[in-house]
Amino acid sequence: MATNTVSLFDDEFLKKLEYLSILSKRLFAGQLKAERRAMRRGTGLEFADYRQYVAGDDFRHLDWKAYLRLNKLILRLFEEEEDLPIYMFVDASQSMSYGNPSKFDYARRVAAALCYIGLSNLDRVNVVAYANRVKGELQPQRGKGRIFRVFKFLEEMTTGGETNARESFKTYCTETRRRGLCVVISDFFDTSGFQSGLDILRHFKHDIFILHVASHEEVDPALKGELVLVDSENNVSREVTVTPSLLASYKAEYHRFCTDIESYCSKYQLGYVRTVTDFPFEELVLKVFRQGRFLK
Amino acid sequence: MRFLALTGFQAALLALITAGAIVGLYFLKLRHRRLVIASSLLWGRVLDERQAQSLWEKLRRVISILAAVLIGLLIALAVARPEVQLLTGGVEPTLLVLDTSPSMLARTSDGSTRWDHAVEAALRTVNASAPSSEFRVADTAGRIDAALTADRREIRQAIERMKPVAGTPRFPEKDPETVHVRFITDGVVPVSLPRGTIRESVFEEADNVAITAFEIRATATSALAYEAYLEIHNYGTRDRETHLTISGTGGQQIERTLNLKAGGEFGGPFDLSKFEGGGVRATIQAGGDALSLDDVAFAYLPIDRTAKTLLVTNGSPYLEALLKLDPLVDLTIIKPTQYQPDPSFDAYVFDGFAPANPPPRPALLIGEIPNATWLPQSRGSLLKPRFATWTEDHPVMRYVSLHDVALERAVRIDNTGSEVLAESADRAPLILASPEQQRPRWVLMAFSLKNSDFPLHSGFPLFVDNALGWLSREALAVRKQPGMISVPLAQAEIRQLNGDLTESHSRGNATIFEAVEPGLYVATHEDTRQYIAVNLASPQYSNLNKTVSLKDRPAALSAGWLQQELWVYMIGAAVLLLVAEWFTYHRGVTV
Repeated sequence: MATNTVSLFDDEFLKKLEYLSILSKRLFAGQLKAERRAMRRGTGLEFADYRQYVAGDDFRHLDWKAYLRLNKLILRLFEEEEDLPIYMFVDASQSMSYGNPSKFDYARRVAAALCYIGLSNLDRVNVVAYANRVKGELQPQRGKGRIFRVFKFLEEMTTGGETNARESFKTYCTETRRRGLCVVISDFFDTSGFQSGLDILRHFKHDIFILHVASHEEVDPALKGELVLVDSENNVSREVTVTPSLLASYKAEYHRFCTDIESYCSKYQLGYVRTVTDFPFEELVLKVFRQGRFLK
Repeated sequence: MRFLALTGFQAALLALITAGAIVGLYFLKLRHRRLVIASSLLWGRVLDERQAQSLWEKLRRVISILAAVLIGLLIALAVARPEVQLLTGGVEPTLLVLDTSPSMLARTSDGSTRWDHAVEAALRTVNASAPSSEFRVADTAGRIDAALTADRREIRQAIERMKPVAGTPRFPEKDPETVHVRFITDGVVPVSLPRGTIRESVFEEADNVAITAFEIRATATSALAYEAYLEIHNYGTRDRETHLTISGTGGQQIERTLNLKAGGEFGGPFDLSKFEGGGVRATIQAGGDALSLDDVAFAYLPIDRTAKTLLVTNGSPYLEALLKLDPLVDLTIIKPTQYQPDPSFDAYVFDGFAPANPPPRPALLIGEIPNATWLPQSRGSLLKPRFATWTEDHPVMRYVSLHDVALERAVRIDNTGSEVLAESADRAPLILASPEQQRPRWVLMAFSLKNSDFPLHSGFPLFVDNALGWLSREALAVRKQPGMISVPLAQAEIRQLNGDLTESHSRGNATIFEAVEPGLYVATHEDTRQYIAVNLASPQYSNLNKTVSLKDRPAALSAGWLQQELWVYMIGAAVLLLVAEWFTYHRGVTV
C-alpha cells in the first residue's frame, strides 16, 4: 500500500503545481497572514475603504490629508490577508483498496498534490484519514517545507473497515475547528448514504469540494456467469448470475448513484469532480481541476 | 407404462441414478467463483430490486435444476424404450389385411393409386402402434401371409412385397390369438370378412373405360377362320370418346373410335381373316382413365398351316376319302406292316392298328385295336352299344352330335386314367382321350368304322377334324388373369411375346409363373407349346365405382397419436430442451 514519494511527483510536476493555487469560492477568516483575502478588514497592504474614526481605533491608520481637508477624522481600512484552512479528507476504508491502480493510491496522489499546492500558497493544510471513524490526522501544516510530513503521513496511511463518513466528520468537526475548504476524496460507498457525511460538513459551514474516485472495474465491470460477490468492507457475500441484463441494471444503478452525488453537489453548490483511476493523474490535476474551477 | 429394453425396476433405478447424478452435478456446478468487489452496495440494490420484482428470479434456479433433471430423465428413459398405451395404442395382436385386387391400382386425384394409399395407411398403422404390438400382415391374393410378429422391419417388408393381382380374393383365416382384424380396401371386389373386422377405405371415385372381354375364336363355318370378340365398358360418370386399336403381329391393324356413354358398353366381333397368325393386341385410349391395366388385352391367333398326317390302315374308304378332302391335311397312307415311327409327321391316324410303343406324335386310334401298353386295356367286347352321353366341352367333341349313331360292336375299355368323351348307357367308354398333360396325346374310338354308321353321320367329319385339330394344330391361347398362373405343362419354359424369359416353377405336371400385367405368354416344353393370354378383362375389377366401402372410415385415420416409438420423441424433446437450456444459460436466463 505504501507509495514511494519519489514516484508520486517528480520535480517537474511539483514546479507546475507551485503556480497553481486553490481557488476558494468563499473567503474565510484566517489566523495568519497569507496570500488570500479575508472578509475582515485588517492590516494588509491593499487599501479597502474609509470610515469614521471611533475611539479605540489604531490612529496609525488615520488619513491625515483627509483631516486637513475635511477637518474630520477618517480612518483608512486595509484588506486583511489570511491563510485558508484546507481539510483533506481521504477515504481509507477497505473499498478504496479496490481497482488497479487502487483507488486509495490514486486518492493519496491527488491528496498529496493538493496538499502541496495548499502548502505552496501558505494555506493551513490538514490531512484526515477516515473510514468508519477518523483513523488518523495530520496536524495543520503550513509552508512548502512541510510537504514531506504530508507525504510521510499519506504513505503510512492504510485501508480497512467500513465507510461511515457521518461519524468520522462529526467527530472531527465537533472539535473546535475553523471553517475552511473541505476536500473529500472518496468512492462514497457508504452504507449510511453519502449525504449524511456531507451534511455534517455543510452544517459546519465548510466549503466542500468532492473528488469522486472510481475504478474502471466499478464503472464497467467485466463480470460474467455464476459468481459470489464478496463485499471487501464487511465480507458480506451475494450469489449472483451475471447476465448482460443484470450488468445493464448495475450500470444504470451506478449511473444513478453518480447522478445523485452530482445532483446533491449541484443543489448545495459544492464542487464535484468524478474520475476513474485509469485516467492519467497529471491530467486530472492540471486539467480537470482547472475545468472544475478548483485551481486557477 | 412399460419398458421394452429394461425391466421396470431397472428403469426406475436408472431414472433415480440419473436424477441423483444430475442434481449432484448441478450443485457442484453451483459452487460459484468468489470475487471480492469494493462494495456490494450497488449490487445489493440491483439484486434486491430484481428479486422483488420478478417471480422468475425466485424460481429460475428451481426451474433450471428441473430442466436439467428432465433432460437427463428423458435420455435415460429413452434408453429403456418406454411404451405408453395411452399414446401408442394397445398391444393386442392384429391381423392387418390389404386388398390386392387389381382395382386397387386405380389412380387417385393426388396422382398416386389406391394401392399407394393402402400401403401408406398400413405402414402408418404399424408405425403408430405400440412398439411391442404384434401384426400379422396378409393380402387377399394369398401371396403374402406373414407370421405374427412385432418386428417392424419384417412387417414393413411384407407390406412392401405385396402387389395387386387378379384372382379370386380370399380373406385370410383369423387366428385364435388375433384380437383385432383390420382390412384396408377400396371395397370394389367383395370379400367375405370375419366378424369384428374393421374395414378401412381407400376408395375414391374414379372414371374408367375398360376392355372387359377379348378373345379369338374359330368361326363355325371353318376351323381355320377366326374372329376376335371384344367388349368395352365405360364405368365412368361421363361420356367418353374411346379410341380402339387391334393390331396383329404382321402389322395388320383395326382402328375405331367409339363414343361410349356413361355406364355404356360396346361389344362385337372383328374379322381377323386378314391377320397373320401370332399375337393380337387390343388397346383403348380414353382421357382421364384411372386404370391402365384394363386398357390392353392380348390373344393368340393360330398360324394357318396344314398338318402332315400318316394314316396307317388296311383300307378304310370313308376315312381315306375324308382325310384326302381335308385341305388342312397333308396325307400319307401306309399299311400297318410298313409302319415305322417317324417324327416328321405332325399326327398319326391308326385304323385297326396300334403300335406296341407310343408314336412320336399324337395319334387318333380307330376300331378294335390290339392291346398296347401305352393305351387303356380292352376287356372284352360290347354288342350293339348305344351312345348315351357325351361331353361337348372337350375340343374333340365340339359341335359333334352322336344322336342315332348305331354301333354293331365295340371293345370294352378299361378307362383308368383316361378321359371319357362318350359312353354307352351302361357307362362303357366308347370314345376316350388321353389326359390333357399326357404326351403324346391320343384319341381312341372303341369301335371300328366298319361296325358302325358313324361315317354316314354329319358328326363324323367334324369329329375327325376336331380330333386332328386337338392333336396336331396350334391351340388358341389359354385365357388367364394377372397373378399366379398355372400352365398344364410340366417343366415348361415361359417366355413373353418379346422373347423375354419369365421366372417359373414346375409343380407336378404344371408350371407356375407370375404375370403381373396383361400380356401374351408362351409355355414351351420340348415340341409342345401353349399360349397364355393374360388379360384383366373383368367387369368385377374394372367397375371402380361399385364399392361396398362408401361408408367406411378412411384408412389410417384411426392411427395412434405418435408415428414413431416414444423414445424417438423423448430424445427429440431432450435435444430441444438441451438447446433451449444452452441458449438461456448463455444468456443468463437460467443458471
